[in-house]
This record gives sequence, structure tokens and C-alpha cells, in this order.
Amino acid sequence: MILGEAWNLPREVTEIQGKDPGTYLAFNTHMVTFYQQTYGELSRFFLALRDGRLIGSRCPRCQQVNVPAATWHCPTCDFVEMEEVELPHRGVLAATAPITIFPSASFIGDAPFARGYVDVATDAPIASYLPSRLRTTTGLPRPGIFVKGVELKLVFENERIGSIRDIFWVPMSEVPAKLRDRKPLLAPQLDFARPRAPAVERSKEAEKALAGALSAMRDLSGKVKKSPRAQKDLSGRKHSIGVKTGGGNFTFQVAAGGIRVGAGLPRKADFVMVAQDPGVFSRWVADGSLTDAAVEGKLWLPHQEAFGVLPILDRLPRSVRRDLK
Amino acid sequence: MNRVAIVGAGITDCRGRWVEATYWDLFQQATRRTLEDAKCTAGEIDSVVYGIYNDIFEHQAIPESALTGIIGMSLKPGTRVTSGGATGFYAMRTAIMEVGSGLSDLVLCIGGEKATDCFDPQSRTATPMVIDTIAKSWDPFFEYPLGATASDSYAQMCMGYDDKYPGDIGDVTVRARIIEMLCRQGNKNPFGQRRDETVTAEQVMASRWIIAPFLRLLEACMYTEGAAGVLFASEKKAREISERTGVPPIWVKGVGAANESYQAGRGGAYKPLWSIVSDRVAAERAYAMAGVKPSDIQLVELHDAFIAQFMITMGEMGFVPLGRTRKLVDDHVMADIRELGDDKRPPKGQVLINPSGGLIFGGHFVGGSNMFSMWSARREMLKRQMPLALIHGTGAINAVYGGALVVELEDGGVR
Repeated sequence: MILGEAWNLPREVTEIQGKDPGTYLAFNTHMVTFYQQTYGELSRFFLALRDGRLIGSRCPRCQQVNVPAATWHCPTCDFVEMEEVELPHRGVLAATAPITIFPSASFIGDAPFARGYVDVATDAPIASYLPSRLRTTTGLPRPGIFVKGVELKLVFENERIGSIRDIFWVPMSEVPAKLRDRKPLLAPQLDFARPRAPAVERSKEAEKALAGALSAMRDLSGKVKKSPRAQKDLSGRKHSIGVKTGGGNFTFQVAAGGIRVGAGLPRKADFVMVAQDPGVFSRWVADGSLTDAAVEGKLWLPHQEAFGVLPILDRLPRSVRRDLK
Repeated sequence: MNRVAIVGAGITDCRGRWVEATYWDLFQQATRRTLEDAKCTAGEIDSVVYGIYNDIFEHQAIPESALTGIIGMSLKPGTRVTSGGATGFYAMRTAIMEVGSGLSDLVLCIGGEKATDCFDPQSRTATPMVIDTIAKSWDPFFEYPLGATASDSYAQMCMGYDDKYPGDIGDVTVRARIIEMLCRQGNKNPFGQRRDETVTAEQVMASRWIIAPFLRLLEACMYTEGAAGVLFASEKKAREISERTGVPPIWVKGVGAANESYQAGRGGAYKPLWSIVSDRVAAERAYAMAGVKPSDIQLVELHDAFIAQFMITMGEMGFVPLGRTRKLVDDHVMADIRELGDDKRPPKGQVLINPSGGLIFGGHFVGGSNMFSMWSARREMLKRQMPLALIHGTGAINAVYGGALVVELEDGGVR
């Protein structure tokens, strides 16, 4: 369905206060229009995607390639008719890609995601870039992966309906050699579900930093028990998280409105996070943010569910501070 | 083109949410303040140009139609302009054309937006739905379904720029310094949304990421509700009004505009991802028409969506070299309000940038933000007796829309 079940409001009028004195009323309403919208001249492009093909339009005069094929008449050459051109399933990222962590209402649940511009018609003298989703098999999108110039492989979803979301790109370096020339390469042929956690470099310094972080987290744990706001933040949550750091491993547990840390990885972890620098956790306790650490690439996460836990944990130092003031 | 002058301006209080007012009242407030400033009546106005960006925000297609009677413009011609973030600029350009062509003598140009009535039922907050509403300015076939938003779109331009010119906008200490300076300037704007805030560089660097590595929370403009008005007059009418108010006219010297192609790409007419070409071309056209160079201009009100983009824009408009826009701070090109006080001109080599606090601290009621900038530029020109000012607007996907206005204080600042 186009709109999720939560996309509705009760039909009601409520009283609200503003900056100035007086009571004001707010009414719940919508501005939603549904469409059975034609793709029109863009249909050729989307029909090709359904068939596992990527096409562009090319001008016979100036040789420019338009991908996606958004026009079939060249605006530079007096609108001369353009011809269909089959495009390779390899491309180059045209500019380092932004990673969205605060999506719009329609994309809540998708974050973090990377969206970038891919240069596909690399042989053409003039070409548009294909806006696309970019994915990695190495965990969540983070800096250093979708950088300008990285070679990408086009991947098609198994089920395709005729949408720009039928495709996405993956760094070629992540595609096994025998699959690099596969056309079309389908998403189930790559492993996104079990990314390999990065290795950490052990050091004495990091071991000391870990000891400090564990001490800070134990201190926070004690405060969380006495903080009604923190209890509310954690209400209903239960997680058993393994953490690997350059100073050693630890377990991070959330249960019964509290947090607990212990040495070593848990026997059964919901997921494992990796931080080369255990200071990520000390900084979090001191009113920092694990989300920011993940966004910067300092805290590796395997999947979106893990990312979804971080904002809750990020609230704790502030909640505790406000309650124990 | 005949001479065109600005003879009055007014703005409403800039608020994160105007519970007390719909856009009807906000536009009436802006109209009233503008006419009061110019000592004019609604009856004297020949025509009105409206800047309203997004029908979904106002929850009405033809949103300006509801305003005609309320602002006293019954039976006058009215034109609504919408150009994304550059709506205010393009509305002013339209008003300037009307007066400059001789079609009208006195044109009221009002712009505003009511953005934060939007509500997301999932999070039960406004912001995700405000972002979604803006995201509908991106096409429904490719960009919108990919989840593109204004933040990552402008961030993409910063990333493209950084790919080409590493080590410039990426230094957060430079960006944080600019925020500190803008905040102090915003403190002096009696209508500014964040006029009571104090933001330090340290706070900026500790604030949460919106898009790494160029946009932290405290570097971005807020969503604002409010409205502004600017009154444009022919030379004859300008002299008359100036007699009434005792305030010299501000003359429009140069207007430049450029919209890049929607599709990004390489070569031809495609939009490059490493340059805000629209800013550069618009500014060059405005300078050419005005017969000035950037070094002649020491007062700029630019459209700052966020600081990294502010820096690129100052480079594109020729105030600092592209690739070394950090000279704004490193070489003290950006004037410090603590040194200038309330009425001094910047020393040679310095530019007073966004004395209003910019869109970041002053406010960003999209349809009228560039008019807010014009209101401020005029105020500062009069206060500091500055001969020239540059007002800039930007908008749409990847900042493809660009506009620049060069204005001159009557008699070049010498009374």
C-alpha cells in the first residue's frame, strides 16, 4: 500500500497555546492526493528496468546520452529524435554521496541510506548521471565507501515493478569476481544480511580506554536505575549487544528499564557493534552521541535494526542529567 | 529599463510556529508594516506580486487568491511567483520588471510561508512531514522515490565541491566561527527567530550530525513562519514617497538570474555537481548590469541554507576564491559585528555578510526569505550609509535556481 497504517489522524479540533496569550484552535486535516500517474515517455526506461535492462536515450547529432532516459528529443539539437541505447551495468560514482539519517516522513525506517549520482554512459562525451540508491554489503552506509570515482555494479531487485527502486548500485570491489559481468545481477545473489564485522587493532592504549569506558558506563547504569526519564526511554526494550573494540570486547545489555555492561561478548548477541576506539562509549556517556559515532564511521553497525537502537541510548545521558539535577 | 527604487519594507516576527496566525494574517501584517514604513496606503498600489513557495504548506492551491481582499488589493492585478528557495528573489525580479517596464508605478511585493502546520502521525511531530512536503518539490519518478530531501540535495553540492576542492569547507572550526558571527548579528535583529540565542563554536562542533561531514544541527537554517514586504516604485513615485518618509530611495542597479538544468551530469547543459553555477552566473549578470565588481560591494545578504553552502556561494559570487572560501575567516574577509558596532562601515577588504543573522538565525519563511534579506540590506545601508548591497537567493534541487540583486543607496551613501 502507498500509505502505511499510521498515516492518519483522528478527525478532531484541539486547543493549542502559542507564544502570545490566548487560546487557539488547531484542526486535523490532510492534503493527500492519490494518483494512477502515467510514466508517459519515461515508460520505456521503466519497462527496461522490469526486463533487467538499463537504457538511455542518445542524440545522433551531439552524441549526448540521457540516463535515465528522461527525454526522447534532444533539447540541444532542435529536439531531433533520440535513439534508445543499451547501457552497461557498471558505472562510476560522479560525486561523493550524502548519507541521510533524518529522512522525510515517507522514508522513516529507511535510514541510514545513501543516494548518489552514477555516471553510466562513461564513453559518451556528454551524459547525465543516474540518481540511485547505493548499498554496501559491509554493514551500514558510512563515510569512505561511496566516494567520487568508486566503480559500481548495477544490481536489480528480484521483484521489479517499474520503479527507480527496482535498482541500486554496490561497489564493484564488494562483488565476487564471477558475478561482476552478470547481467542482470540480482540482489539475492549478494549477501547483505550477514556483513563481516571489521577487524580491530588491539593496543595497550585502547585497553586503558576501554577500562575507562566501562567504568563510565557502569556509573551511568547506576544513574539510569534512579532516573524516571531514563526508565521511560528504555521501557519495553530488551537487547543483548556484543561490542568489539581495540581494547577488548564487552557485552551491552538493555533489560527491565536498565543497562548493564560486562566483560566479553554475550553468548547469544542480538547483534555485534565494532568501535576501534573505546572512547566512543566514554564520549557517549559524557553527553555525546552513539548515532553521531555511527554516522562518522567510528562505530560499525551490521544493519538498520542496530541503528534504530542508538537514538534510544543517546537519550540516556541527557535524561539522567535532567532527573538527577 | 526605467529606474526602479525600493521605498519601503517590513517584516513580521519570525517564529518557528505562528499558532496565532494563518498565512492570511501573516501577509496582512507584512503588508501593513511595509505600507507604514513607506507612508503609503493600499489604495496607491498599482499591483501586487506574491512570493509563496509551496501550495502544500499553505494547504491551498492558488494560495494568494485568499489574500487579495484582506491586504487591500481588490481589483488590482496580482501575480504569484514560486521558485523554491529563490521565490522571494524571483518575486522581486517580477516586481522590478513591472515597474521597470513602465507597466506599473508602485508594486507591492510580499512573500511568506506557513510551513509548520504539517504533522507526521508516525512520530507525532512536525519535522518529518515538513521535510516530506519540501521533498515533493523533487520529481515523482526518480528523486522523490529515492528519498531525496533538501538537506541531502544541498549536501550533495557541498560534497561535489569538496571532491574538487578538499580542505576548504570541510574544516568545521571555520564553519563554527561563521555560525558564532552570524548568531551575534542575529541577536541584533528584533524580528529574528533566534535573536535570544547564544551559540558558541564549541556548541556547533558538539551538535548532532544531520549529514556528515558538512552539516551539523547548529549549522542549518530552521523552518520559519512569517512574511515580508518590499515596495518597488518608479522614479517619479520614489521621489514623492521619499519626500513623505524622509528616507532616501534604494535604487535597483542590477538583477541577474539563472536556473541550471534539473538533471545533473557531465558536459553539455547538464548541471555539474561541483559548482553552484546558478549563483555564479546570476551574480555575474547582476554585476554586469550594475557596472560593479564584487570588490565594490561590502554588504551582502545571501541565502544561507547552511554554512558550507554559504561559503561556496561567497566563492561563486566572487568575494573569495573558489577552493579557498575559508579566507572568509582565515583572512578576516567576513566582517565582525563586534568591531563594527551598529553604524560603522566595514574596513576595506571586509564584507558584512548577513547582518540579519541570515536564514540560519534570522529565519527562513521560504516564499519571502529573500525579501527578508532585502529588508535587512536596506536597513543596514541606511544605518551605515553603505553605497551598495548584494542580495542573493538560491533554490530547488541541488541549488539549481540562482538570483542576485545589486542595489544602491541614493547618492552613493553621501547625504
